[in-house]
Amino acid sequence: MTRLFRAFGAPLASVILLLSGVWILGLIAAPQLIMIEQSLWRMERPEGSAEISVQIDGLYNRLDVIGLDRSVAESETDSAKRETELAALAAEEAAIKAEIAVLEEKESTPVKVYTLDNFGQMGSAHLAIFAKTIVASLAVSAIALVVCYPIAYAVAKLETPRTAAAIMLALVIPYAINELLRIFAWQMILNNNGPANALLGLLGFDPVPFLDSGAGVFVAMVYAYILFMVFPLYNVLETLDSNQVEAARDLGASTWQIHRRVVIPHARPGIAVGCIMTFMLSAGSYAVPYIMTRGTAAPWFTQLIYNRFFEATNWNVGAAYALSLLAVCTVFIFLMMRLLKVSLKDIAK
Amino acid sequence: MTRAVSGSTFVLRLYMALFFAYMFLPLGVMVAAGVNDYSPPSITVWQGFTLRWFAEFWGDARMWLGLANSLLIAAAVMALALPMGLSGALLLSQLGRRSAGLLYTVMVSPLLTPGIIIGISTVIFWRNLDVTAGLFTAILAQSAFIASYAMLMFMARLQRQDLTLEEAALDLGASRARAFRRITLPFLKPTIMTAAVIAFLQSFENYNTTIFSIGGNHTLVTEIGARMRFGISPMINALGILFIVVTVICAVAWAALRRREYQLESVK
Repeated sequence: MTRLFRAFGAPLASVILLLSGVWILGLIAAPQLIMIEQSLWRMERPEGSAEISVQIDGLYNRLDVIGLDRSVAESETDSAKRETELAALAAEEAAIKAEIAVLEEKESTPVKVYTLDNFGQMGSAHLAIFAKTIVASLAVSAIALVVCYPIAYAVAKLETPRTAAAIMLALVIPYAINELLRIFAWQMILNNNGPANALLGLLGFDPVPFLDSGAGVFVAMVYAYILFMVFPLYNVLETLDSNQVEAARDLGASTWQIHRRVVIPHARPGIAVGCIMTFMLSAGSYAVPYIMTRGTAAPWFTQLIYNRFFEATNWNVGAAYALSLLAVCTVFIFLMMRLLKVSLKDIAK
Repeated sequence: MTRAVSGSTFVLRLYMALFFAYMFLPLGVMVAAGVNDYSPPSITVWQGFTLRWFAEFWGDARMWLGLANSLLIAAAVMALALPMGLSGALLLSQLGRRSAGLLYTVMVSPLLTPGIIIGISTVIFWRNLDVTAGLFTAILAQSAFIASYAMLMFMARLQRQDLTLEEAALDLGASRARAFRRITLPFLKPTIMTAAVIAFLQSFENYNTTIFSIGGNHTLVTEIGARMRFGISPMINALGILFIVVTVICAVAWAALRRREYQLESVK
């Protein structure tokens, strides 16, 4: 900290600290912590509310009795006595009404109770969707890795630097085009009367309801996020010294051995980044299932989260769902870092 | 390559060609439907070339309002995320190894968090302060992760800084603030420009974080998403064509700039 002040002088250092603080505490840490807190409580009817409602019922009965007493009192002939009795009854009635108001307030005002029940709200149906989302996202990552590895290797190692640069620039274009447009292209292709079904029709097949079966979500997801695998892989493979590959070949290694022992170990950070990005984007994607199902196929977990917040308006359960998704992504990141022995510094390059 | 094209290279080339077809054909389908005189968007029924979907977009007030919101948000995000990212990078550059490591983890975490989580947690936080979701929360949610991009870019640039220049300025009697303004900032200028462009694009094109944090308002992109779901009008395709044209221009300009920079540095 003193180094900061020495390096920039007090006024500038204060501005740096202030801005960093607003970002780290105000925009990153505080919202996450509040979300965690929100997932851990809910508003409940207060404890003993059943006893209170019995008590309230008793008081209402008492009011009825007072009503009877009053009609008896009103038939009293002695006016002085009648007045005092009626006044006493009115006072008692007012006291009971006040007590009822207090008790009813107590009965109906929910209290904040800390509980893990929000996570338990998931039930088997939502849990199945959660599991499906995770498995499908893992599959997207795996497919992207298998498809992209040869591409990245071929571009980085087999092409001249000039051609490689041109190829990567060409790939930047679909990468930079808005996610929604890439998804929409597939919605058109897989639509009931789209080109995919037209082609199947020419081959004599019945139309396939790609969108309504949820298959469309998966196809569009692979397409939308596959380029997040190509670029990290290419970036690490570009730094691989071709002499290493040559040396391995001269020493008699087979192609498979070269990749297993030389290329893949070198590509670890790229593999980690690619897998983390594709998994995180798939599991956290709202756009793809939203556009690719039109609500006809089973929802994606992100849609459940959205509904908890903006349709069912149960923010506590929504926060618990969101936190579950975040936890899965965090675990995945640590697993990849462990498995591929890379640090966060390698990942964020 | 001087060697004859071997069998495996041929297979790889073929594979690459297939991959390119896979990447570009769907976009071609979308472009074609944008100029096809048929609604809903289709390429299986061809009714002839038209530009009327562009005209339809031109007359759509909701889209224009969305565009205005997008530009407003992007401007605010640039104004917020760049200084925060730069501060973060400068702070890290002056910290000890251990504390820098922890801080660094927090600063890059938004990039590894699903966008919807950043969006929704911002909304929850501000609702507790009685601020309803809207453009304001969308700006803050986007800034949280866009500042991370900026921080990484500034950090990479700062690591290449020649510290002797700054020291020379100090020796010659410049104050710290003056040395920063006259030496460090000009050195960072190219990165500030690229970071501004990246921040703008990231903000403008964002969907997942924005849809969870913008409440009842909309941006151009969230409005496009809402219309896409039912794919009723090829106006969306026409808009898509505009997006693609802009993207291609930007990509080519960026490549040209990089090339010039590269040539300049190799001349030095």
